[in-house]
Amino acid sequence: MSSGRRNMDSQAEAAGLTGRGGRTSGLTEDLDETILNIRTELGESPDLKVRRLQIGGERSVQAAAIHISGLADPAAVNEFVIGSLLAEPQKLPESAANPARIQAVLLDGILELGDAEVTDGWNDLLLAVLSGDTAVLIEGCMSAVLCDTKGGESRSVEESSSQMVVRGPKDGFVESVATNISLIRRRIKSPKLRLEYTRVGTETQTHVAMLYMKELAGKDLVEEVRSRLNKIAIDEVLESGFIEELIQDKTFTPFPTIFNSERPDVAAGNLLEGRVVIIIDGTPFVLILPAVFTQFFQSAEDYSQRFDIAILMRLVRYVSFIVLLLGPSVYIALTTYHYEMIPTTLLINLLSQRETVPFPAFVEALLMEGAFEILREAGVRMPRVIGQTVSVVGALILGSAVVEAGIITPIMVIVIALTGIASFAIPSYNMAIAGRIIRFGFLLLGGMFGFYGITLGLIVLVAHMNSLRSFGIPYLSPFVPLSVKGQKDTLLRLPLWLMKSGKTPAQLRKEMPDYKRVTTGHEAALAPLIRNNDAAGRKQDREDGRDEEK
Amino acid sequence: MKKSSFSLVLLIAIQLVIPLVLAGCWDSVELNRRAIVSGVAIDRGEGEAEKYVLSFQVIVADEISGENTRGISPVALYTGKGHTMFEALANASRQTARFLSLGHIRVLVISEKVAQEGIKDMMDVLERESDTRLTSLMFISKGQQAREIMSTMTVFSKIPANDLVEKLDTTSKQFGYNYRMEVDDVIRGIQLRGGGPVINGVIIDGSREGADTNDNMKTIAPHAVIKVTELAAFKDDRLKGWLKGNTALGTALLHNKIKGYPAVIRYPGSGFIAFNVYQSQLEVRVKAADPEHPVFIVKISQQVSIKESPNSLDLTSPETLQNLSPLLIEDTATKIRAAIETAKKYKSDYIGFGQVMERKNPQGWKKVRDHWEDVFAACEFRIEADAVIRHTDIRSNSFQINP
Repeated sequence: MSSGRRNMDSQAEAAGLTGRGGRTSGLTEDLDETILNIRTELGESPDLKVRRLQIGGERSVQAAAIHISGLADPAAVNEFVIGSLLAEPQKLPESAANPARIQAVLLDGILELGDAEVTDGWNDLLLAVLSGDTAVLIEGCMSAVLCDTKGGESRSVEESSSQMVVRGPKDGFVESVATNISLIRRRIKSPKLRLEYTRVGTETQTHVAMLYMKELAGKDLVEEVRSRLNKIAIDEVLESGFIEELIQDKTFTPFPTIFNSERPDVAAGNLLEGRVVIIIDGTPFVLILPAVFTQFFQSAEDYSQRFDIAILMRLVRYVSFIVLLLGPSVYIALTTYHYEMIPTTLLINLLSQRETVPFPAFVEALLMEGAFEILREAGVRMPRVIGQTVSVVGALILGSAVVEAGIITPIMVIVIALTGIASFAIPSYNMAIAGRIIRFGFLLLGGMFGFYGITLGLIVLVAHMNSLRSFGIPYLSPFVPLSVKGQKDTLLRLPLWLMKSGKTPAQLRKEMPDYKRVTTGHEAALAPLIRNNDAAGRKQDREDGRDEEK
Repeated sequence: MKKSSFSLVLLIAIQLVIPLVLAGCWDSVELNRRAIVSGVAIDRGEGEAEKYVLSFQVIVADEISGENTRGISPVALYTGKGHTMFEALANASRQTARFLSLGHIRVLVISEKVAQEGIKDMMDVLERESDTRLTSLMFISKGQQAREIMSTMTVFSKIPANDLVEKLDTTSKQFGYNYRMEVDDVIRGIQLRGGGPVINGVIIDGSREGADTNDNMKTIAPHAVIKVTELAAFKDDRLKGWLKGNTALGTALLHNKIKGYPAVIRYPGSGFIAFNVYQSQLEVRVKAADPEHPVFIVKISQQVSIKESPNSLDLTSPETLQNLSPLLIEDTATKIRAAIETAKKYKSDYIGFGQVMERKNPQGWKKVRDHWEDVFAACEFRIEADAVIRHTDIRSNSFQINP
């Protein structure tokens, strides 16, 4: 922790905090002057609380505890800082002759806090106070003691609202970076988990934590992420989107090249796959990188359900993405250019529907798509109380009124509705909105050139996706470049024991005590198999045990 | 400076985008600008200038599945005349408010007269035109104008062309000798050296009076019914004659296109027995050492079930069934023999024995290629038929045999 702090202090200096008051240091030997300096620096802010104390034997030493109310935990300030300062005066030297000695005693025997240290940096002091720490100043001392009393109000851990599952852990990240790290650490109790802190944003001084698994994450990758984070020079970081935009490989693409999640289990799983997780203070969305295309179609639930069902659900998602991209454009291409491809009976049906409709199919599609986008946008922002109205109006107007009025054909409503629903089937929201944008391009191509245009569009799209990289990883891997081994968890989701290469189910399960083993009645037939696996498992266990002893 | 470069980029972008809009859409036709043609009738007109009389059966979609129907006919017939097929099509478009779209032609009916004069020329346009499909079914209207077939109201499908397609599918599954004959098959048939295609015939049974109005369907027994009928046998691209009964069935068997047909044989002393032939497998081999005198061996094996039995037979006994098989085999052989004899009579190898010969002895085929019809008419055929009675359906003996 302390090394982290030092790291971020130097960061703060680099970011140019010093320039702010034109002051090099406000820390003086005179306590009153120092307090005045701090007050001035923070603009006489009323939430800055200064508590003057007389400490030491005979209460001979002037001191002050400074914190900002709301940021610091009041209980910690009262009990562990001020309380302990006043509790045992006899421990302190009796005179104020040697302030440095007083500080040392404070740290050694008085302050009942896990994290407290001495600083003589003016900016460090300000930053610590602004982060919720309490600074203890002592008359005649050029340095301050910083006590970690960060606290104040924050949201408790709740179920993530953007990525829900039927089966799986229900906790979601919150806005506090410390809580978020703890959520991950609780899942990975490994010493290999590495954490690095940095501060980004010259004004916001936002805590940014970078997590990775040592040995699992590539050294180059970690180094690259670190250097890109350090290169950021921006005033404010209010959400993970700020960081994402500044460290991603390519800006001009609709596709997201960095994955985000609100779920600690997803973050933990990705860490164990060798990815880097970036947690930003103030947002429940963590960044996971590098990201490849298929990742955006994986859901946490895939690993909770049986593998065959997971494969089916995954295929449904890929199909919905294709429907989302091409649904309306294929319909338009079919009806305006390739009517011969529609089965005759269906064609007669379409013909009679189109008989009274005033617009060309392309305009029709554009109108409906536009209306649907408006509806969706309105629905997202609408206060929950009147949210119902949107769905009623949308269902009525888009569903039946336009058809009854003869403006839009019923089949077009079906196509648009299908596209709309398909966009919700994609587990990752930013991939879904990418699809929604690209869909309009295809609509244009399909309306102007038919299938020829759609084919050209698809070629360009695939070429573009091939040009994308996420921290050096090709976006379409493991398809391009093709890796047969990499297919285990992309379109398919093989059973876990098949994904972990070369291990049998029994080895993964390790040895089970006999009394817990469920009787199947076929032990006799399975005996040789179980014996072999057990032998292998036991040997493995013994080796593991030896490692732990060391 | 900066502003002008921005507007330059904008100008270039616009110039790139606008032509896209102009270039696109040139062959885009909205569905409500199309008239979908479901069937075409081809008749022989008067003289050379009006050689082809094309009648297009156009679907009036609103009348078939729309909400606001006017109670008019579900299809409309437009006719065009010309030297060539294409000219006739262009002529017909003068009458139609919408683009005649040929992508959904289900049926092509050619009148017997045109078929006798030759259908080569018209097949070219059907194959060349990008809109028409090679899977449209072809028919020859026997002794009637083809346009009459296209202008008869039908009961089951509002579109007469569809009705005809469905009739063919049904009969090919239940009765036998008619089977799907598409434009593609006909073109390949014409290319058979010394042979020709076989095309389904179609006639209108009943009186033509009021056949093209709803009156046709107002009575329980429709006045006029479109009916799939005999097979038209061709030599090259010209109609030679009509095949029916045993001859037609034998021809279908030889084409290996049969799906199921009833075989009825007389059992000595106890009336008729009806079989359902549900599987036939045909193999043709040839001994073609001497190309001028090849010997064809037609091997056919069939699986049948008993559908109708005279009451006296004991069907539980294997011997009875064994005795029945030879009768069935003889019946099949008769049909095949009749088919081959008829083909010989027309001097047209529309069955495709020549192809078997070519595969077996390519060098010999080259020698006889040009006078194949003569060789074919004189060559020898051996028929090896085999039939197995698989079951007697859900009864064994008739209810009358049990005491």
